Amino acid sequence: MYGQYAIKRIIYAIINYAIIIFILSALFNASMEATLRSQIEEMIQGEFLARDLTGYTVEEINELKALRRDELYRRYHLYDPMIVRVFWRTYDTLTFNLGKSTSVTSSAGERNVSIIVGEAIPKTALLFTVSAFFNILIGIFLGIKKAQKPGGLLDQSTSILTMIVYGMPSWWLGMMLIMFFVYKLNLFPSGGILSTPPPTGFMYYLDILYHMALPVLTMILLRAWGGAYLIRNIVLGTLQEDYIMSARARGIPENRVLYGHTLRSAAPPIVTMSVMSLLTSFGGAIIFEGIFSWPGMGNLYWIALQQNDIPVLLGNLSVTILLYMAGLVLLDLIYGFLDPRIKVGGKK
Amino acid sequence: MRNDGNKAKKKTSISRETRIKEFKESLKEFWSDFKQVKYGIVGLVLLIVFILMMVLEPFIIPFPEAGERWSDITYWIDNPRSAAPAWVNWFSSKKNTVHEFLTEPELQVTDTPQFQVVEAEFNYNYKYDIPPGELTLKALGKGNVVVEAEIIRPDGETINLVRKNFNTRNETEIRIPLGNEAATRIINFGREFESTENSRNVQRHLLKPMEILFSKAQEGILVKPEPLKGDYRINVKAIIVGKDSYIKDPEVVVSGKVFGFLGTDDARRDIWSGIVVGTKWAIFIGLLTAFVSIAVGIMYGVTMAYFGGWVDSLMMRIYEIFVSIPMLPVLVVFSAVFSPSLWTLILFMCVFYWTGPVLTVRSMALQIKEETYIEAAHALNASTGRIIFKHMIPQLIPYAFANMALSVPGAIVAEASISLLGLGDASVVTWGQILHGAMKSSAVLKGLWWWIVPPGLMIALLGMTFAFLGFSMDKILNPKLKTR
Repeated sequence: MYGQYAIKRIIYAIINYAIIIFILSALFNASMEATLRSQIEEMIQGEFLARDLTGYTVEEINELKALRRDELYRRYHLYDPMIVRVFWRTYDTLTFNLGKSTSVTSSAGERNVSIIVGEAIPKTALLFTVSAFFNILIGIFLGIKKAQKPGGLLDQSTSILTMIVYGMPSWWLGMMLIMFFVYKLNLFPSGGILSTPPPTGFMYYLDILYHMALPVLTMILLRAWGGAYLIRNIVLGTLQEDYIMSARARGIPENRVLYGHTLRSAAPPIVTMSVMSLLTSFGGAIIFEGIFSWPGMGNLYWIALQQNDIPVLLGNLSVTILLYMAGLVLLDLIYGFLDPRIKVGGKK
Repeated sequence: MRNDGNKAKKKTSISRETRIKEFKESLKEFWSDFKQVKYGIVGLVLLIVFILMMVLEPFIIPFPEAGERWSDITYWIDNPRSAAPAWVNWFSSKKNTVHEFLTEPELQVTDTPQFQVVEAEFNYNYKYDIPPGELTLKALGKGNVVVEAEIIRPDGETINLVRKNFNTRNETEIRIPLGNEAATRIINFGREFESTENSRNVQRHLLKPMEILFSKAQEGILVKPEPLKGDYRINVKAIIVGKDSYIKDPEVVVSGKVFGFLGTDDARRDIWSGIVVGTKWAIFIGLLTAFVSIAVGIMYGVTMAYFGGWVDSLMMRIYEIFVSIPMLPVLVVFSAVFSPSLWTLILFMCVFYWTGPVLTVRSMALQIKEETYIEAAHALNASTGRIIFKHMIPQLIPYAFANMALSVPGAIVAEASISLLGLGDASVVTWGQILHGAMKSSAVLKGLWWWIVPPGLMIALLGMTFAFLGFSMDKILNPKLKTR
């Protein structure tokens, strides 16, 4: 039953992704094709420079070039009607054939967009899972403490904090912290993921942690309060249930009531909330990573923007959306697993 | 719910006045609830402050054309570059020179048959520790004019600064940066008092003319200058040759190290003016985006619930597609490819923000739909539009307001993010645009905090204001969240 639910959810997500990519392909088709045309011209120029052209007249060379251009245009479907071109672009994107970049290169110097984006994914994943981990930890701890004494000093002060940072741009807080901790106190590096030259062995991992400290701190300062606030509401709702009262009446220690009984039944919404906050912070990562020059997907947007590299921009976007949607599907699957009622609903 | 239903059933038959009265009463009830929430009141006060800032804009900014001429360098030319806020002096033991305009000098005009001599004497009371960056003499002139300037220091020393010829056909602005023009003379003046050893060791390009000009004439004037406070007199003499020639409005600009309420950026722009101008845009962008998207979202949710069946399923599928797109990346790429105007950007934000209230509204509307008064409306053969707009949506208005307040900050941050990347509408001075300028000239690295802190703080404060309002409304309307 759960398998059926899972398959249905995944298929829906794939269809949705295909629709989104189709719309985006249609929207950005013109600028993508302009880039492609200039890339083809560049390629032809390169080929003819490398060829031995003695014995050909200028007209003949031009004719040969036109033939080659014709061939390449045909290969990239540039002669087809608009709708077919958009279809092919959608197909290419869905099969991770993201084209060639115009100026951004991977660390090995390659210009394949898939490789460039692929290199950035683990770094983004690292930063965001680590900060999500700390956020959830702090959120659960703080949320339970808040729920124990609703309306108390801790509860009220952290709730107010939630609202204070509600509209604060994460990148601005990052800039503030950089200005204070890096340029004033000289405590942390100003950005990047590793020192140059990178240390070896165990120090390598410590160095990454050292570089990660400030971005993670920023994220915690901004998001932990909101997480705690939501967890407080969830836990507060659960604490009203009869079985909690009966557990207390049976003389079960308060800590076990809280962390055993309450937290277990409050787990599904807490998981949802945590993954959701991870996803939203991932969606807003573009600027955040750029501020800290963290070489992830967000920073890739900055670089591509500065160099006006449309293929990288669009390739990165399609992968970002894919990861985001994958997160949402995962969320639903976990939720369905934790909360059996959802599965029944899925079978209907 | 039952209670609300009865009220609404009555509504169809009662007159307009009673309805207005009822509305007033419910508003009063809301207000008495609202008063209980402390942070709600704080939010309201802050909102009023922001609105006052917006309304009083022309009266509280020193540069009234800041909004239109933000990127026009000629508009800002008299300001100092990268000057800190004036109140920095309160917290530092060494006082920075405050930016100042010396106007209305003592004028003396002498006529001779061949030419006219205009003498202007400016008095400047220097009482700081860190000298100005520059003294600029400016005036409007036409024709053939010779300008001479000298400065008489409090210790009686006189330094001849410049002698310059101007010959213009039309009225033009004459600008003479005195420190720059007279650098050699001022340094030579300093060398007279400095010991030979120091004088030889010091590197010329490190010497600042203004520092020497405003320092005590003693040994160490070049290497370790001590400020000489007191009254300085700047004598300007203009010899005007020819009939049509004239000079008027002489003025000396003392380029301070501190300026105004929030200082200036490295393009000499007054940051306070920019912040105030940005306020109206932030409020406008936030409210418009929130209003349009929440309105669309509510109508969408109600329509889903009302029709049900395949319409509901189809609309749900469309909704699912929209929620599975991360907004900011798409917005960034969209802005990079199409470089949209502010209006297009707002429209595009609405395309993503309308999804916010849909699910809650749908479930609320599903309950409302079952109420008897809806059934009664059906029986009276009321049209679909009438039922949706007259009977269902009004029930959701309170929820809509709370939701709207809570979506404002997101829209403001999104616009600021786009502008920060340099993809926004450059013709509009938003806080994000100011931050973009700061990013571009690496203000973080240079430590120009007065350029980075205020715009971001304003975004955060405005966001906080709406969060306070939204959360307090949420608390009133959603009794479950009340602390027990």
